[in-house]
Amino acid sequence: MIPIISRFLTVAGLIAVASCGSKDRAKEAAAGKQFFVAFSQCNNAEPYRAAQNELLTRLVAKSPDMRLSIIDGQQDSSKQIAQIETLILQKPDLLIVAPNERAPLTAVMGKAMAAGITTICLERDIVEPNYTTYIACDNLAIGRQAGEFIVEHLKKKYGKPQGKIVELKGLLGVEGQINRHGGAHEIFAKYPEVRVIHEAVADWLQNKGRERMTEILRAQPEIDVVYGHNDPMAVGAYLAAQELGREKKMIFVGVDGLGGPAGGIKKVMDGVLAVTFYYPLAVDKAMEVGNRMLREPGFIPDKKYTLGTEIITPQNAAKMYERLTF
Amino acid sequence: MDPHRRQLLKRLQSVLGLVVILILAIFISPKNAAGDRIFLEVGNLTDILRQAAEIGVIALGMTLVILSAGIDLSVGSTLALSATVTAMVLTRWKTDLGSGMHILVAILAALAACGAVGAINGVVIVSLRIQPFIVTLATMIGIRGLARRLTDNTNIDLGFGQDVSSQFAKLGSGKALVVAVFAILAIACAVVLGRTVFGRRVKAVGDNERAALYAGLPIKRTRIWVYTLCGLLAGVAGVLHAAQNHQGNPNAGMSYELDAIAAVVIGGTSLSGGQGSIAGTVIGTLITGILTNMLRLNNVDSNTELMLKAVIIVAAVWIARRS
Repeated sequence: MIPIISRFLTVAGLIAVASCGSKDRAKEAAAGKQFFVAFSQCNNAEPYRAAQNELLTRLVAKSPDMRLSIIDGQQDSSKQIAQIETLILQKPDLLIVAPNERAPLTAVMGKAMAAGITTICLERDIVEPNYTTYIACDNLAIGRQAGEFIVEHLKKKYGKPQGKIVELKGLLGVEGQINRHGGAHEIFAKYPEVRVIHEAVADWLQNKGRERMTEILRAQPEIDVVYGHNDPMAVGAYLAAQELGREKKMIFVGVDGLGGPAGGIKKVMDGVLAVTFYYPLAVDKAMEVGNRMLREPGFIPDKKYTLGTEIITPQNAAKMYERLTF
Repeated sequence: MDPHRRQLLKRLQSVLGLVVILILAIFISPKNAAGDRIFLEVGNLTDILRQAAEIGVIALGMTLVILSAGIDLSVGSTLALSATVTAMVLTRWKTDLGSGMHILVAILAALAACGAVGAINGVVIVSLRIQPFIVTLATMIGIRGLARRLTDNTNIDLGFGQDVSSQFAKLGSGKALVVAVFAILAIACAVVLGRTVFGRRVKAVGDNERAALYAGLPIKRTRIWVYTLCGLLAGVAGVLHAAQNHQGNPNAGMSYELDAIAAVVIGGTSLSGGQGSIAGTVIGTLITGILTNMLRLNNVDSNTELMLKAVIIVAAVWIARRS
């Protein structure tokens, strides 16, 4: 496919010798130009983001005319801002930013745009639309779907929508936590007998999920569903319930659905989680759109692409595992 | 007041703190369907011991370090190193040694790595004469980096199958084992500190370094051993952490150093060195453990939990200083 495109680009490039912008780039590509892709990652040290980095590295490696640099913001907005400022001087052909926080990163992404750099905002929104395109993941939709799955499960269990839910929340104030909570509660609110009996904050961590669940199991003799805002917290809750021999009396619902032996998909295959909801890695979409912006003259991306989730159950887990394990 | 009576009084005060928090926990405990207080269920009381065990084991080492007038900020990162090394040896190293030996090798590898981190802390502190705060702050950062680098930022899962790593998780996460490890190590540390020459040297070095120097005590060697032991104990906590959570997580143990220091300080050990005891630290660990359990059984908001802990720490130290 790529040779055909580049041949086409050669022709296009020759025709449009004296033009500007993306056509210039197309010509350069034909002339053996190297594309420099820079990824400003907000924090390497999270399994989800490590998976993003891994997938992106693999995708870029498929194109011999591309080189990739991943810069780790170490969960520090001012560090990430400084790193992007340095990147602007290096003039990457494509800048992908996974912003650490909305407000602080907005201005510096504006600077990148002003410098004429094609910029993709990944997964998290910023305050002003200072990007060429925004690849969005919809946590609110995931929350709603998780809520619907839970209500359906309770209907099957009791013949009507009723039951007791424990919710393990991610770090308070983070967009993912707010919307995975809000989306699910929108659904629960429709059924007065579906009650969230205990909410605890477990900061996205497996060990905190286990620790918090230990006391919850003491305080709550009846639990039907544990809803974790991510897979590790739900797995931690499972470990605590297993210790008391109560893990079969409830189901564990997670979000993220990462591949690999430590990811949520494997936990569905192991029968630990009843279900998990895939939170898109988004870098695949970013590269798809990015490649077109770099190589197709005249291609104008949408201002925003919203990626949907996929529900991962024991039925499709093996297939998803294969697809999402690198 | 002579030092022995002062010591006794201090210990009494922390016991008093423990009693107060116990009574409060019993008083406000929610009740189960049968009308019994959930806090007093045997299962819940042993939950507390188990939940406190990891910080407790770290706090034992921290007590030795603080008694020697030092501090060790690297224990949280060291715990993460231990958990990841254990998980890596279990999942990535293929061997015909049999699962028992395989598990033993994994644990020994983790402990060796953590002992080495502690020894490096000690050697750098005594040979380059840099303050312990700064040296261990540096290792806290560096060892976190090492743990993340070893694992490529991912969690290493121990699994739920029948393989050796799953067996390790099953074995090592038993409540009785976790609590027993804490109890045995606490007794061992108390004996070392109270009944051995080494223990007296630790206190002497922390109490008055100049006097210890004039008395011809091996100050440097004592210091290096103290940090090595502290690293080793953080390593033990890391092995327990990996087993209990079914994973080696390079981000594990964040801010555990502060929880451990808090337990030591609540237990009446002076941050300026020389004064304090293992018994006090065990009591300090239990006070924070019961406090956490009490608040969580009552579903108190986690931010309120943090604020209450802050008040308890200051109150405990204030009471200890009044004696």
